Amino acid sequence: MLRRGSVVRRTIATPIILSALILALAIFTVWSGSRPFNQTVIDVLLRVMLVVGLYIFIGNSGVLSFGHIGFTCLGAYAAAWLTMPPMMKGMMLPGLPGWLIATKLPYWVAAPIAATFAAVFAWLFGLVLMRLSGIAASIATFAMLAMINKIYSNWSSVTGATSSVVGIPIVRDLWPYVIAAILCIVIAWAHAISRAGLKLRAARDEPVAAQASGIDIPRERLVAFVVSGWVTGLAGALFAHSLGVVTPDTFYLAMTFMALSMLVVGGMSSLSGAVLGVLVLSLLIQLLRGLERGVDMGGVALKIPNGLQEIALGVIMIAILMFRPSGMMGNRELVWPRARRRRAADAAPRSSTNTQPTGVHR
Amino acid sequence: MPGLLQILLDALSLGSLYALGALGIALIFGVMRLVNFAHGDVIAFCIFALLWPSVDVVPIVFAGQLPWFLLIPFVLAVGAGLSVLAELAVFRRFRHANPATMMIASFALGFVIRYFLLMLFSSRPKSVQILPGLSQPVELLGARIPLLQVVTILVTIAVLLALVAVLRRTRFGLEMRAAAENFTMARMLGVRANRVIMGAFAMSGALAGAIALILGSQTGTADIMMGSSIMLMAFIATVIGGLGSLFGAVLAGFLLGGVSVAMQFALPLEARPFRDAFVYGAVILVLLWRPQGLLSGRAAKERV
Amino acid sequence: MSLLSLSNVTVRYGRLTAVRGVSFTMAEGEVLFVTGPNGAGKSSLLRAVAGVVAPAGGRIDLADHDITGRSPETIARLGLSMVPEGREVFGSLSVEENLLVGTGMHAGTRGWRARCETDLAAVYATFPILKDRRRSQAGLLSGGQQQMLVIGRALMTNPRLMAIDEPSLGLAPNIIDQVYDRLTELRRHRALALLIVEQSSTRAMMVGGRMMLMRGGEILLDGDARALGQSEAMQSAYFGYGEH
Repeated sequence: MLRRGSVVRRTIATPIILSALILALAIFTVWSGSRPFNQTVIDVLLRVMLVVGLYIFIGNSGVLSFGHIGFTCLGAYAAAWLTMPPMMKGMMLPGLPGWLIATKLPYWVAAPIAATFAAVFAWLFGLVLMRLSGIAASIATFAMLAMINKIYSNWSSVTGATSSVVGIPIVRDLWPYVIAAILCIVIAWAHAISRAGLKLRAARDEPVAAQASGIDIPRERLVAFVVSGWVTGLAGALFAHSLGVVTPDTFYLAMTFMALSMLVVGGMSSLSGAVLGVLVLSLLIQLLRGLERGVDMGGVALKIPNGLQEIALGVIMIAILMFRPSGMMGNRELVWPRARRRRAADAAPRSSTNTQPTGVHR
Repeated sequence: MPGLLQILLDALSLGSLYALGALGIALIFGVMRLVNFAHGDVIAFCIFALLWPSVDVVPIVFAGQLPWFLLIPFVLAVGAGLSVLAELAVFRRFRHANPATMMIASFALGFVIRYFLLMLFSSRPKSVQILPGLSQPVELLGARIPLLQVVTILVTIAVLLALVAVLRRTRFGLEMRAAAENFTMARMLGVRANRVIMGAFAMSGALAGAIALILGSQTGTADIMMGSSIMLMAFIATVIGGLGSLFGAVLAGFLLGGVSVAMQFALPLEARPFRDAFVYGAVILVLLWRPQGLLSGRAAKERV
Repeated sequence: MSLLSLSNVTVRYGRLTAVRGVSFTMAEGEVLFVTGPNGAGKSSLLRAVAGVVAPAGGRIDLADHDITGRSPETIARLGLSMVPEGREVFGSLSVEENLLVGTGMHAGTRGWRARCETDLAAVYATFPILKDRRRSQAGLLSGGQQQMLVIGRALMTNPRLMAIDEPSLGLAPNIIDQVYDRLTELRRHRALALLIVEQSSTRAMMVGGRMMLMRGGEILLDGDARALGQSEAMQSAYFGYGEH
């Protein structure tokens, strides 16, 4: 067994490098002074939180979840309930309890509460879902997403049903999002090196051995599910503040698809992969959006039809799965260049855990 | 108060759709352990194949003008063709991948199909007239019921019987059942893997076409999202029915239809919009009680 | 002319090497036992021959065709029929359906249906119990009956070489005798080569034929079963006294 201090020292480089990347992006944005670019970078940071949140569960447990965007929905609406002006709530959402209608918190107080609200539901759902495994678990998370979506799309007195909930205070300042994204990265790292995270990854790589050595797999999965529920819930809360408007269908299949594709492209079992996947695909999305709006290329207007952005994302995702199923990063993390050689020696025996028979026909 | 007969017909016709959907998923799952999330988008594609690409509100009907005896085979063939294409272009490369990877790949493929339709037709639902003769009510046992419901149920029964006949009586059916139970062993007996898998995709796609026809004539609209709500229930039906069991999938599809319609009548008025949410919740609880599904087959238990 | 020939075949699972550079040939109609302790690489060798695992190195030829890395169905169609370890009947199919699965590879050829019928009759004549239970689900048969079923199922493909992995695994001694009686009987009536993997060499000594001893992924001994069985070298190789 390694001692905690040495684990921290060995892995601390990853969150520091990733945070530095985020900070560099932020500083560049502020320096450029462009309002639209500011908004774009806010979107990128929200995606970082979302995908890092997904990574905490999917990456460490190896169980595919289609349901996490449900927690984003819970977080976003909870933030709306806590921060909207009481008068608007009384009119639009009369079904809320009186004390909640009267409450108006600043966004930075409301956001962690909203995330905790999402985490509580992650815990409740997790109690049930974490006992399933494999395909049944994935389908059940899908059912959970659909269930949350159905409830939020129909409960008009509390969620406004399918109509947009407006009046959420808009936060245009970049720094809260930067701080939140870095916080999420640090949480993901702390969970990954915690006892729970290490056990969970052991169970992912060697389920039989892990069970034999007394690891309670459902319990470790539940821990990861709640932590990732909190992070994706926080992303939802801040998402609400970045736009000022929420609807249930914002938090459904399209967002699930986007977040999953970013995680897959980056590498499902790597925190660095999660962040890099967001950055790379965001850049691509931005390019495609520009093309959808049309660009003037030497007097010729070049414009691609709407929808091509998603098609391109889908094709790239399939291609990555085909040719590089472990994503950009595999299960490696970003480390100091000097340490990489030593780490490579460390990593070699670990990578043997998921060996497959070479060239086996099914 | 609607009569008992009407409730029964509602349950059976909704269950029919779920059962056909679940069957399309279970067929493919049986032979290659793929949960095909793109199936719902294949359904949508089949309906839009009747229209000429345009983003206008008024649809330009293209193949939709065919007489019924050409229209039906056309839609079924479109579904089968698209499904086989998906297998050739995408899923064939994932033969050796793990189920999670295949699931994500199919999810991505579904999005590609959906946004392809969106690009050609825009996201606005369009009205289509498919087999308009079916929307009239008929008199049955003293109740006026939509002819379409009766047809839906009869068509489903016919499809199921045909499928049973193919599986039980033909060489291809035998090979497919053997492959679904133990793929490697079947191949060691000379069963051609690619042929069986392509056949499963073609059958699954034709089923998607059948659902598209029924849904299209029921709603009178072509909507890009029309496949997805059916599909979620169909996924759930395949899991409840025991992954890989065709019979279980069909039965669970009808069960879900029955439960949905029963809830529609049993729930208090203000809770009715949440019907599907209740069904999903019930499903999660059922899975907790029987993680292998209610009617799991032996094969599913061993290998999933 | 050799029916099956392996040269320098290696099988790997990840970093584990199960078979290390094995070479041998088998003649038409020959009986070859491969014996050796657990983990010797016997089953992996068979899986490579049947195409279930692609060899990491070397070359395999079956009836003058290079089958290295080919798919299991291609190899089956060239005349190899595999009876894997643990029998692997199609449990939900009936006994007769099990027998018919492998006949598809000749479908469409002239007189195929008639040949199916005669083959079926021949298998039923060899294993009368299968005829009695032809309509019942294969999963409900006893272990011995299932072993007969999979041998019958392999015969239905009209193979030139039948590869059987541990046919006596989990069966009572008198049932094992029956299985081997049938196998020797079959050999007499058809030009059928048998490649049989067994953990113990006693059966090979009783039946006779050629025997190879594997350990650690390599072939240690190769020769006449009866002669080898009594030799000193066999004992020491099997139990691992003295390294070769």
